[in-house]
Order: sequence, then structure tokens, then C-alpha cells
Amino acid sequence: MNDFSIAGTQSSPAIRGDWAQGLLAMQGDSYPENSYELFHQVFTWIEAYLADAGRPLHLELRLLYLNTSSIKAMMDIFDLLEAAHLAGKAVSVSWLYDQRNERVVELAEEFKEDCTFPFDVVSHD
Amino acid sequence: MEPLDLFGMRESYNRQQIMLCFNGPISRSLIEEIGNALRNYLSSENAPASSAMDVFAVYIEMTQNIRHYTRQKDWTDPEAGATVVVARDEQGRYVVSAGNLIESADGERLQAAVQALAGLDKTELKARYKEQLRKPRDEQASSGAGLGLIDIARKASEPLEATLREVDASRSFISLRAVI
Repeated sequence: MNDFSIAGTQSSPAIRGDWAQGLLAMQGDSYPENSYELFHQVFTWIEAYLADAGRPLHLELRLLYLNTSSIKAMMDIFDLLEAAHLAGKAVSVSWLYDQRNERVVELAEEFKEDCTFPFDVVSHD
Repeated sequence: MEPLDLFGMRESYNRQQIMLCFNGPISRSLIEEIGNALRNYLSSENAPASSAMDVFAVYIEMTQNIRHYTRQKDWTDPEAGATVVVARDEQGRYVVSAGNLIESADGERLQAAVQALAGLDKTELKARYKEQLRKPRDEQASSGAGLGLIDIARKASEPLEATLREVDASRSFISLRAVI
């Protein structure tokens, strides 16, 4: 219904929102100078989905390096999911990483500390 | 004009194990391109994935902080330049340094912030980081380089160093150095 996709660049992730599947996928590095502009669209889509879809939402992340402004934007997204979860909505995150990159695991685990909804940090090989 | 001694510069860079250096006005695309070159160097040196990522992260935070600061001040290109060096020290550790012009009062504040972080261990830095992450955006902007600075300190293996050198009555040059 209300799908969207943003092509990835060197400094920004590829993002895809699939309304029918209840899936939001993000992949790649994220270090744009102004991450607010990029993440605002994602935030708005998730907000609309949680308000209107009436179905579970799953985030599938294959993010690698995030600069601090992207980290802040991701935290806002996870806060939104946490609020939905506390309101009884089904939300979940899986963060897939390459075993060779331990920094990605540390980053994902640090986000996970502040979330009570299902949040899996899984190696993709 | 004094003739350029490129050979002398090369010898000096080699002696100081400088992998990459840049001096001049810095744009968004230049930050990305130099960052790309840096990643390629690190991968050709077979740097472990985690140190390569830390070096890249510190480089990005330092240069983007400079961009944010100089754009906020609306400075012209020559004033808004950055001096960036990535080198290795005697023990083979990566050292990322970046410098820029700064209003002296801001420079003193930044230096004090760096000194305040120097006394914190990794657990305290993490707590400080999470606290800063939860602050509203406008509050972060006014405090200047808060989150980025803590992030750099967390990735460094030694306390950060900030040195300030006076340039004229109102401005100074600040250099920030992080050993990964």
C-alpha cells in the first residue's frame, strides 16, 4: 500500500519499507552529515505503520558503521518501537552481522540494552 | 615564494609514519573520499576489522564536527579549513589528529570538555555517552560536539589530547589527537 525505498550511497544505507509484509529493512553504512533528513522519512513511515496497519512490524537491519548522528536517529526509532511494544503492539528487530566485525555486535547490543521488545543480534553466516 | 621541498616533506611524512594528511577547506564529498582512501589503506595494511572501523569512525566524527562548527559560524572556506593527519606511533597504534580554527572561548570550552573526559574509565564513558544520547537535539547543538567527542574517547586507547594555540585576538587553532 504505502511502500517506500531509498537507494543506498557510500555514506547512507539502502532502506526499504514494505507495508504489506510489515517489514522495514536497512542495509549498509550510515554517516551522512545530516542524518536527520534521511531518518525522518523512516521515522514517519514507522509511525504511520504502527498507527494504521494493525499488524506486526519487523525491522531487519544489516547496518555496519553508524556515525553518532545516525546512532541518535536509530535510538529515536527504537524508542518509537519500545512505546508501541508497551502499548501492546507486536514489534521486533533482527540485526544481522558478519562474524568478522565485532564492532557491529557491540553497537547492536548497546541499543538492545534499552529495549524490552524482541531484539535479536544474529550472525548471518 | 620559498621553493617547495617535496622530497623533504616526503621524508618527514615517512619518518613520522603519516599514512594520510590533508590541509585545506573540507567539503562533505571530500570527507567521504578521504575516508574511502583511509579505508583502503587500512585494508591494504591488513588492519583488524575492529581497529579499521575505530580509525574510520574517529576520522568521521572529527571531520564532521569541524564541518558542523565552521558552518554554524558561517565561516568562509579559508577559515573553515581542516588539518587532518592519520599516522602510526612507535608502537604501531593508529593516531588520528584533526585541527581547525576556533573562537578562543569555544576552544577553551572544548579543551575543558576533553580534559573532563580524560579522567573517566570505559564504564564511566559509556554512562556519559548514553546520558548525552538522550539529551534533546538543540541542547546537543549548543554544547558543541558533545556526543561525537565522547564517542571518540570511547574508541581511544589513551585519553584524548587537545591543544590550543592562539592565532589572533579572538581566534585559536585547536588540535585534537586520539590514539586508537
